Amino acid sequence: MYSLKNNKLLLLTLCLPATFIVAVFIIYPIANGVYMSFTDASPLRPNSKFVGLENYKYLFKDDVYWQVLGNTLFIIGVATILAMLISVGLALLLNNAIRFSGLYRSLIFQTWVVPWIVIAILWGWIFNTDYGLVNGTLTQYGLIENQIDWLFNGRNAQWAIILCFAWRSIPFLMVIMLAALQGISSEVLDAAEVDGAKYWQKTFKVTLPLIQNISLAAALMQGVRMFQEMTLPFVLTEGGPMNSTMVLSMYSYNLAFDSWDFALAATVGSLWLVMLVLFGAFYLKTVVREM
Amino acid sequence: MKLTFSKLVKKYLIPYGLQASAFLSTVILISPIIWMVSTSLKKESEVFDRPPVWIPSEISFDSYFRIMNGFVANILYNSILVALLAAIIATVVGALTAYALSRFPIPGKSTIMLFFLSSLAFPIPLLMMSMYILLMKLGLLDTYLSMIIGHTVITLPITVWLMKNFIDQIPKEIEEAAYVEGASFFRIIFFIVFPLSMPALTASALFVFVTSWNELFFGLSFISSPDLRTVPVGISQSFLQEFKTDWTGMMSLAVIVTIPIGIIFVFLQKSFLRGMIAGSVKG
Repeated sequence: MYSLKNNKLLLLTLCLPATFIVAVFIIYPIANGVYMSFTDASPLRPNSKFVGLENYKYLFKDDVYWQVLGNTLFIIGVATILAMLISVGLALLLNNAIRFSGLYRSLIFQTWVVPWIVIAILWGWIFNTDYGLVNGTLTQYGLIENQIDWLFNGRNAQWAIILCFAWRSIPFLMVIMLAALQGISSEVLDAAEVDGAKYWQKTFKVTLPLIQNISLAAALMQGVRMFQEMTLPFVLTEGGPMNSTMVLSMYSYNLAFDSWDFALAATVGSLWLVMLVLFGAFYLKTVVREM
Repeated sequence: MKLTFSKLVKKYLIPYGLQASAFLSTVILISPIIWMVSTSLKKESEVFDRPPVWIPSEISFDSYFRIMNGFVANILYNSILVALLAAIIATVVGALTAYALSRFPIPGKSTIMLFFLSSLAFPIPLLMMSMYILLMKLGLLDTYLSMIIGHTVITLPITVWLMKNFIDQIPKEIEEAAYVEGASFFRIIFFIVFPLSMPALTASALFVFVTSWNELFFGLSFISSPDLRTVPVGISQSFLQEFKTDWTGMMSLAVIVTIPIGIIFVFLQKSFLRGMIAGSVKG
């Protein structure tokens, strides 16, 4: 290429802003966060001291931490699987030459536009025990006799959150799946047809295996990203009842900015980081290598 | 007879069946949004009706007028300001870095990209604590800038990622030709590379804007003045307490704060999806 390679000054100028932001606001905070997990840091205290593994010991013995971790994995795991199944189904459906399929696609994608805070209010209204749409519709069709206590019963509240997470993940996953489906060369499918494959055989033996890796990668990405999502439980259920919808990110946030226990919050964050690294290693080993 | 029946199925049943299921799934998926709009347009008396009424017997904008006040205008203004600035900063900075990563021989390139990708999932509370201390020391807490920084930081990695994958696909020959003609590097970047990467730039900027519009927790912990509250912060901090059982009012506000993003998306959706897909699937 032209003399770009030797233009060190240009390279520096191009990279400087991002390097600065990443170093000061990502790398330093993470490193400092991990360090804080070994101290008793709190903004309420002028000086913090090193306490070794005390925070970790405390956390491992804390029932709430394990409950929160369990909740998070359950909610995100089920929501991602649900969203994935629906998205693949929708993508297969809309990939057919149906009239208005472009319109359907963009309408479904609109759900991605609704802000989380709006979803939180909306979900509170839809799942309202006495006047909500869900109970109203279920009663209308005679599916339930007594109103379901969606948000004040632990298991039900978890399902309300799961449905929301899944609903919110569908548009994006569907779009990726559609792109993957359109990437399959028609020759492969034609060949299968010439060999006498029926639609379902073609779908399960040819199409789905071909998009398997992209699907898995997209689902894992979406799942990992959901770990950061806390607006919904924060506003809708405040983590309750009895911590049943308390997710890891919200737990860590509350420890930090409600109890002002930066040290313990940092410990939760650091353990989350460890999980992320392990997950990343798994992801690289299994998913990326096959791609 | 059997042949005609199967022909009948092929000609009518399958296409109409597919059409019906596509229509139904779409309606079910967007039903929460329809319900939101429907509730916001109802008269107080119809809101609690059973069975649920989807189409109000009488359209009423009362609730919109009831909630529209200085507070709503203020949170909308704050959110637009913060989201716009974050979108501009994150996109421009990200694009410059992406260009460098795409065209220069930088050691450890794939590691850098992997780091950017994985930062999608970083524990945000962990970032926020040190940022909080840092901003406190700099005297930047309780300013627009603190939120803009927060939102830029959590989205910058994605903009770099999207832009890099897109710029990789632009042939270098165009830039080389321009260089031979005597154009300066910044002219090349701003007048050749950026215009060619419009879908990716749009996708990045929109992604940042939407993320910022959604983000509650930086605003919640960095901001203490009621005047600086963004949409999510304002709603969760004061509106929800004030309008607790006023469902038509709450749904009207929900519609109002969704509209800005909705409008942007109606116009830019195609380009957004093109940029997103080119950036993520290729990677």
